[in-house]
Amino acid sequence: MMSDGRHTLSSFMLSTQLNYMAEENLLVPNCVCVLKRQVTNMLKDGRRVVIILEIDVIKPADASGKIGDPVPYSDGEHFLNIQAVILPLLLVIYSFFSPSFSLAVVRNLKRDFAKKIPSALPDTPGGSSKIVPIASLNPYQSKWTIRARVTNKSSIRTWSNARGEGKLFSMEIVDESGEIRVTGFNQEVDKFFSLIEVGKVYYISKGSLKIANKQYTSVKNDYEMTLNGESTVIPCEDSCDVPMVQCDFVPIGDLENREKDAIVDVIGVCKSVDELTRLTTKSNREVSKRTLSLMDMSGKLVTVTLWGEEAEKFDGSGQPIVAIKSAKLSDFGGRSLSASFSSTMMINPDIPEAYKLRGWFDKEGHAMEGQSLTEVRGAGGRLSENWKSLADVKSEHLGHGDKADYYSCIATIVFLRKENCLYQACPTQDCNKKVVDQQNGMFRCEKCDKEFPNFKYRLILSANIADYADNQWVTCFQDSAEAILGQNAAYLGQLKDSNESAFDEIFQQANFNTFIFRNRVKLETYNDESRIKATVMDVKPVDHREYSKRLIMNIRSMGAK
Amino acid sequence: MAGILDVPKPRINCSMLSQFINRAVCFIGRVEKVHPTGKMFTVMDGEGKTATVELNEPLEEELSGIVEVIGMVSNKGEIMASTYNLLREDKGVPFDLELYNEALKVIHDFPQHYPFQVAASG
Repeated sequence: MMSDGRHTLSSFMLSTQLNYMAEENLLVPNCVCVLKRQVTNMLKDGRRVVIILEIDVIKPADASGKIGDPVPYSDGEHFLNIQAVILPLLLVIYSFFSPSFSLAVVRNLKRDFAKKIPSALPDTPGGSSKIVPIASLNPYQSKWTIRARVTNKSSIRTWSNARGEGKLFSMEIVDESGEIRVTGFNQEVDKFFSLIEVGKVYYISKGSLKIANKQYTSVKNDYEMTLNGESTVIPCEDSCDVPMVQCDFVPIGDLENREKDAIVDVIGVCKSVDELTRLTTKSNREVSKRTLSLMDMSGKLVTVTLWGEEAEKFDGSGQPIVAIKSAKLSDFGGRSLSASFSSTMMINPDIPEAYKLRGWFDKEGHAMEGQSLTEVRGAGGRLSENWKSLADVKSEHLGHGDKADYYSCIATIVFLRKENCLYQACPTQDCNKKVVDQQNGMFRCEKCDKEFPNFKYRLILSANIADYADNQWVTCFQDSAEAILGQNAAYLGQLKDSNESAFDEIFQQANFNTFIFRNRVKLETYNDESRIKATVMDVKPVDHREYSKRLIMNIRSMGAK
Repeated sequence: MAGILDVPKPRINCSMLSQFINRAVCFIGRVEKVHPTGKMFTVMDGEGKTATVELNEPLEEELSGIVEVIGMVSNKGEIMASTYNLLREDKGVPFDLELYNEALKVIHDFPQHYPFQVAASG
């Protein structure tokens, strides 16, 4: 029940997208609110019900209780046509019905509507029937008309199962208040499929609403619509007010944080596009495929895969702005996107985000190399490189969590511990366990449970590496140690025993070289003591071009802030 | 020649020539055409623009590839070279002229972070 200080009316209902306000106790008795958007419906007994689409609480409930001396409103008096009121309505919530109770009220409404009631307004197409916003559609009212633009239409899909055959098509429509997915089956396919064109605006009425199956679409609506025998679809001429498309774009940099298989909307500049390729699927169908690289203002790049006709028709020349609605996010190569049959792709769309991107790209974006979330080269499936300075590693407490953390850095070796860098290992292939010297010329490997007359030398090198910010002790095993020292373990072992000065010389030479390290850090506990241990997974010589490009990109993005 | 080696020589490209008239600079570019007399040649920078380099003595060798020229910028925007050295293409990593140009832009966009003048006086 709500009051405006003069009258009370107990027929207010929250639309489902605002249910959270009730659940989170944002709306409590005696709080003062501004009703910003609503739709009013008339019941058969002349009562009106106001469905709240947008409401802001401006003053929390206080002890003052009733404001003014409101009396219950009766319809005999002149009732402002709330539909036409654009000004927000100031109301106080007097009592609050729990959502379950409101549903009960709603169910009553539905029964009322089931009888054919002569409505106050004639239902002429395109004429004076009240247009309601898509956001107000719910399963409990069936007498409505919406005016919306079709943003995406699927092709006709047929199926055949034990229960029989059928066909369907689906589409997404949008108006100023939101979007919704619409499906038509069998007869409705025949009635409407050829009539409906993407990009055009239609008056649609009397579809049935049900809870949406969010798995297939990124459309933001709790409900989805099905066209039935009573539904009508009429083209609308006056369409300038209806927006072209409703998208909630995710910055490419954020894609790393989204779950795989999520459905997202993205927009970016097509920085590069690859050649069209053809593949044969498991069902022996030939399909065309094309990949393109999309970059946005986060400086990150992602690979997008297009299929079929979209792939064939795509023209990436001139680095167009590409927007994709309902693209599927996958963890292939780290993170990548795919345009599925339910995605909509727009090239150089007429929306503000596209212009912003174009401006940014022409000014600075074109010079940026961008960091790709999709690792195409080398071992695919590795996450993006995660460059850190050695001070960042410590200040961000990498490795302190449950799992090990990996990072890349560029650092210089400042100290190599040559004592105890070699150990005697089992000569068996793939067994690297330290062998016990039996002192009789034989060496025993506990893991293989065998004795050998020989062993192989293996390296465990302790080194201190440093960059401009900090230094770090790391452990290098065989491969990375050999790369740093420039010699293999066997030769080193030999030198250590025979020519100590040559052995020392190798360490001298290896010192103060700079490499790109990929390290793993983890908190390890030895007998009540916890320490961060860093291991070198991979060591590579510095690629100065890559490094310079990255530095320039970082400088530019820091300068832009 | 001794004089020019003592002063800081900012690295520039063609678009910056006009701002450095009568100053010592360091210019890196790809050799385009050598004048028949051998006393002059043109170089192209990372942006695709061309500058002219004049030498005191004619060239004794064939000049091609990427060259670093140190000299003074004349009133006409030409570089009067004191010395030059060729960046050999057969050794090491090939020089990326476009990337060098990007770095140049960074240095000139953020002079407060690249105080080369201070280094020379110290």
